[in-house]
Amino acid sequence: MASVYIPVQGTEEEVRVALDHLPHDASDILDILKAEQAPLHLWLIIAREYFKQGKIEQFRQILEEGSGPEIDEYYADVKYERIAILNALGAFHTFLGKAERAPQREVHFKDATQYYNRASRIDETEPSTWIGKGQLCVAKGEMQMASDSFKIVLDEDVDNFPALLGQASVYFLMGDMEQQHKKALEFYRNSLDLYKRAMRAYADCPAAVRLGIAFCRYKIGQLDRARQAFERVLQLDPENVDALVALAIMDLQTNEAGVIRRGMDKMRRAFEIFPYCTLALNHLANHYFFTGQHFVVEQLTETALSSSNHGLLKSQAYYNLARSYHSKGDIETAGRYYIASVKEINKPQDFVLPFVGLGQIQLKFGDFKRSLASFEKVLEVHPENCESLKAIGNIYANLGENDKAIETFKKVTRIDPKDHQAFVELGELLVESDWAAAMEYLKTARTLLKKAGEKTPVELLNGIGLLYFEKAEFELAEQSFKEALGDGIWLSIMDWSVGSSMVSWSVQYRDQSFFHELEERVPLELPCDKVTTLFNYARLLEELHDTVKASLLYRLIIFKYADYIDAYLRLAAIAKEKNNIQLSIELIGDALKINSKYPNALSMLGSLELQSDETWLTAKERFRDAKDSTEGKDPYSLLQLGNWNYFAANRPEKKAPKFEATHREKAKELYLNVLKQNPGNMFAANGIGILHAEKAQWDIAKELFTQVHEAASGSIFVQVPDVWINLAHIFFAQGLFQQAVKMYQNCLRKFFYNTDATILLYLSRTHYEAEQWQDCRKSLLRAIHLAPSNYLLRFNVGVSMQKFSASTLQKTKRTVEEVRATVTELQNAIRVFSLLSVASTYHSHGFDERKIETHVEYCKHLLDAAKVHRDAAEQAEQQNRQKLEVARQIALAEEARRRAEEQRKFQLERRKQEDELKQVMQQEQHFERVKEQWKTSSNTPGKRKDRSKHEDEDGGGEKRRRKGGKRRKDQKTKMQYGEEEEDEYRNEPEDDYANITRDTGGDKLEKAPDHLLVAAGLEDSDAEDDMVPQSAIERKRRAWSESDEDEPVQGAVQHSPSATDLSE
Amino acid sequence: MKLAGLKSVDGAHEESVWAAAWAPAAEHRPTALLLTGALDETVRAWRADDLAAASPPARGHALGVVSLAAHPAGVIAAAVSLDSYIRVFDVDSGASVATLDAPPSEVWGVQFHPKGVALAAAGGGSGSVKLWDTEKWQPIASLPVPRPEGARPDKTGSGKFVLSVAWSPDGKLLACGSMDGTIAVYDAVRMKFLHHLEGHHMPVRSMVFSPVDPHVLFTACDDAHIHIYDAKEKGLIGAMSGHASWVLSIDVSPDGMAVATGSSDRTVRLWDINARASVQTMSNHSDQVWAVAFRPPGGEGVRAGRLASASDDKSISLYDYS
Repeated sequence: MASVYIPVQGTEEEVRVALDHLPHDASDILDILKAEQAPLHLWLIIAREYFKQGKIEQFRQILEEGSGPEIDEYYADVKYERIAILNALGAFHTFLGKAERAPQREVHFKDATQYYNRASRIDETEPSTWIGKGQLCVAKGEMQMASDSFKIVLDEDVDNFPALLGQASVYFLMGDMEQQHKKALEFYRNSLDLYKRAMRAYADCPAAVRLGIAFCRYKIGQLDRARQAFERVLQLDPENVDALVALAIMDLQTNEAGVIRRGMDKMRRAFEIFPYCTLALNHLANHYFFTGQHFVVEQLTETALSSSNHGLLKSQAYYNLARSYHSKGDIETAGRYYIASVKEINKPQDFVLPFVGLGQIQLKFGDFKRSLASFEKVLEVHPENCESLKAIGNIYANLGENDKAIETFKKVTRIDPKDHQAFVELGELLVESDWAAAMEYLKTARTLLKKAGEKTPVELLNGIGLLYFEKAEFELAEQSFKEALGDGIWLSIMDWSVGSSMVSWSVQYRDQSFFHELEERVPLELPCDKVTTLFNYARLLEELHDTVKASLLYRLIIFKYADYIDAYLRLAAIAKEKNNIQLSIELIGDALKINSKYPNALSMLGSLELQSDETWLTAKERFRDAKDSTEGKDPYSLLQLGNWNYFAANRPEKKAPKFEATHREKAKELYLNVLKQNPGNMFAANGIGILHAEKAQWDIAKELFTQVHEAASGSIFVQVPDVWINLAHIFFAQGLFQQAVKMYQNCLRKFFYNTDATILLYLSRTHYEAEQWQDCRKSLLRAIHLAPSNYLLRFNVGVSMQKFSASTLQKTKRTVEEVRATVTELQNAIRVFSLLSVASTYHSHGFDERKIETHVEYCKHLLDAAKVHRDAAEQAEQQNRQKLEVARQIALAEEARRRAEEQRKFQLERRKQEDELKQVMQQEQHFERVKEQWKTSSNTPGKRKDRSKHEDEDGGGEKRRRKGGKRRKDQKTKMQYGEEEEDEYRNEPEDDYANITRDTGGDKLEKAPDHLLVAAGLEDSDAEDDMVPQSAIERKRRAWSESDEDEPVQGAVQHSPSATDLSE
Repeated sequence: MKLAGLKSVDGAHEESVWAAAWAPAAEHRPTALLLTGALDETVRAWRADDLAAASPPARGHALGVVSLAAHPAGVIAAAVSLDSYIRVFDVDSGASVATLDAPPSEVWGVQFHPKGVALAAAGGGSGSVKLWDTEKWQPIASLPVPRPEGARPDKTGSGKFVLSVAWSPDGKLLACGSMDGTIAVYDAVRMKFLHHLEGHHMPVRSMVFSPVDPHVLFTACDDAHIHIYDAKEKGLIGAMSGHASWVLSIDVSPDGMAVATGSSDRTVRLWDINARASVQTMSNHSDQVWAVAFRPPGGEGVRAGRLASASDDKSISLYDYS
């Protein structure tokens, strides 16, 4: 039991202080020390004892008291002890400073510096002060100054042990800090020399010196000797944790299972001896991470963190923690720890792994910029690290920098030509720009995988399938998709081996009971990596028109993955295609329940709502929501907003021209906006063309339409039938009827399988304008056949037949056949009009009964006239035939006679020459007379005709004038155009045969398309003239716009989805 | 189950061929005749084996023929034109037997009762099926199509527009298809409306009952689908898709195993009813295929199956079905 004896002043007595039983309150001791004026070394001993016992405060109290000014005064000549006390305090603060963080750290270092300086003032040659200063400098990281301090001591005393150790450690640390490997080695060697000197100086030095030697050797690369040194340390001090850990690490680095196990044992022992060794803790954590004991990892790393201030070790600890959370899926926490780990590292060369983890997590959070920076740090250290390169490639792809992404992945394939993943990525990146290259890369990937004997991943086959799909190689696409999907419930569904007994499943898309029932009998499994492929396969089936199976697959997807929003939308699209609007809206509603901001769903809903009178206003909201949710970057939603504005401008109920202009302006702005983002957008160009057409700026519109038409003709994926129609409309408006007809016909055939009655109506109108009555009539009959319930078409057929008859009767020359046909056509027209007339009492198809009556009356009138004509013509024909017969017989007789004469002439040649001549002349005269007779006979019904001839000329004159006017007006504004149309149409009745009505079928037909959307027969024949100009203009404009432009716009809404669908 | 092209006649009519029907073999005529009607306002008759013209074209079908039906006895047939007259004529001579109309409305699809006692016609905008007796050609009944409960209001505000009719082979059921896709089913014996069959939402232009299962109805619709209904039990029992455009016509093979369809996608397809799958696609026509018809059994060469198709491209085709 150690004790100290404080001599009692003035006596021989001493106070015994048992060091084990130092009073808790240091003041008690201090009082004694002060009272007895105890020698200073006793103060130091007692303070040191407090320190050993962990009573830091007491330690400090005594030393601070022992270094106070009173002491300095009193013990002025006791130099060494005073210096020792000050140095002890300096060392104490250095220690505190090392343990603390800034700014506390600085305070301690400052205190330490002050104490050492005071010690130096007492005796500046005292080596222990210099050593203290040196250590302070080491703590502060000022190696050069530390080295200088130690050198001062060593210059005095070459074998000063602490100075040697200090200097050795300075060199070692300088080695650690040195960037250049060679210089670093130099430092380690110096360090090693010093350690050796220290050992020579003190043969029985503590194990720590040998540890230093061992570390130096390790650093220099003398691994065996390092190992020997470590082992020697352990012999001297079997519980030396550092040596244990060092040996363990060397074991772990051997990469041999047995040795590694031994290493781990050592590590564990080190941990048992001293559970706060950060290095050991990190390694253990690493080990347990791989064995999957995350809880242990966390515990170990937490201890490691609290027990170390070493940056790299802390970084490793944080990394372990981060990795553990990462693997558990808690990426937010993991991210925080990765960041902590990265913060502890000065340069990525020290420890690069956390950058990988951090990069991955940033990637996951979509923080591409930061993630990119992280992976680039990794590349600084390992420029050919394929994983990082691939990550960077993915980031570029996500940032839309496809070129850079492709470059990066190409680099990967150069570094590792067997990296199938990189090939897959390349393939996917090139899908849009370079079909062939994409296919090549994907196929390479597939070959690589096959060679490696690995299973081709679903995504790869899916990619290949999609490529074929895009090239319209449906069979090959189907093969790929099927290979990707493999065996599964979908096959049984496809070949009807299950579920065929289920009733009415194929129309009730939202009724999933079929699958519920099915699930009770067979396990319904759909692995999540196959969902996308299944979806694509369903899209393919749709493309192959097998919508029944496609819809089943979509529903299977929804049954298993209720959040697969696109499946709902495809079902909605199918329902819409089948005209089941209600169901389609409900399905879109389901999709919006999953994501109320999903732009595709909003767009679809909007275009459905646009078609209904009740909901067209809300459609705008949908489009706007879709636009907002894509931050205005989605051309489709902008386009739809543009179309909506255009639609709104042409709505019949919006009468104010101001609104119209605003809507039209807005539409134009939106279209231009789309074009700015996407200069190749044909739909936007088409929209702008329409707006120009509305203003009768034919040339600009035509130019635009022609360009779009050409672009669209070259593309397999984008179909813009509207532009064909619009172009045809322009031809029509410019009077180029032949071209218009051709354009309409091509459009019908190319895009609509000849099933679009509206285009047939446009076609018939063009024929009508071109006065090709038969073609007009046939087009209309076809249209009726396609759209039986459209009575307007019937009316127009009636008009076309009436018009045909009237024009035939006006002809100056006509055959009996023509007149007969006229009669038949008039009978047909009367039949058609009469049926309509009766039907209108029965049926509200919107025609004015009176007007139909007028038509019937007019046709009957015409028919009477025609019958007269026919009879006359038939009579004339009869007479003609008779006269022809007579003439023929006469001619025949003459011929016979002439031959007889010739015979005779031959015999009586000379004698009867004169007679013969005379006779021939007579014959000729007779023939002339016959001819004359023919001429007059064909003029017999002339009287009736005169009037019609006159009318005809009149009408022709009107027509010419009208056309001239039209051309002139074309250059003018829309309003004037409207008026001109009014003129044009008003002219029409006047060239009719009989002036029964001012509102003839001609007028009716011109406006025909109007009545597709608005109830027909708006205008009353009598009201026509009284119509106020404003409304007349309005009406006419509408006639034009609705017939010509409105439909195409609706078409655009319908057809543009096909483009987006493909991109899905 | 397959089709093999036998013969095609290009320019069979001067204009688009819109209707076709087989007049079965009769006592005086040992083979069936194919009748076709077209936009050129004629009805023509063709020999069953080589599609040679059997008689000169019968004119006067004003505005174009949209539907044809032959009486099961093979003597007479009915043709519907766009002028809304049904012209009943003698198949061999072409002589007019009767001219029917159903004012105020137009007429679309027509079908004879399987026993030939009545003629049913889809009454278009009148929203009804009209029936005539085939002896005196007097109207028997007009069966209105009721609006289904909770039906969506039509855009035009008008009632149903009826396009097609079909009799079940036992004559007990009569089905009628309309523009809006609903199919009305009647008890043809008591002339009573039974129920609607739902599932289509676009015009149903053609329907046919199975010859082997008199409840099973096949429908062709503009939605590009073929539906199979149990017309008696009011249930949809199957759907088949594959046509790229409207399905314009449908007929069932005499053995009841297959149906053939004609579509505006210019193809004729053959479907295996049991497999619910398309087994063959014929692409010989270059425009809409408005009519397909299996030759009815009976007469010479009864064992050989024949299918005829008629198209907007003015041609008609004959196939061997086996």
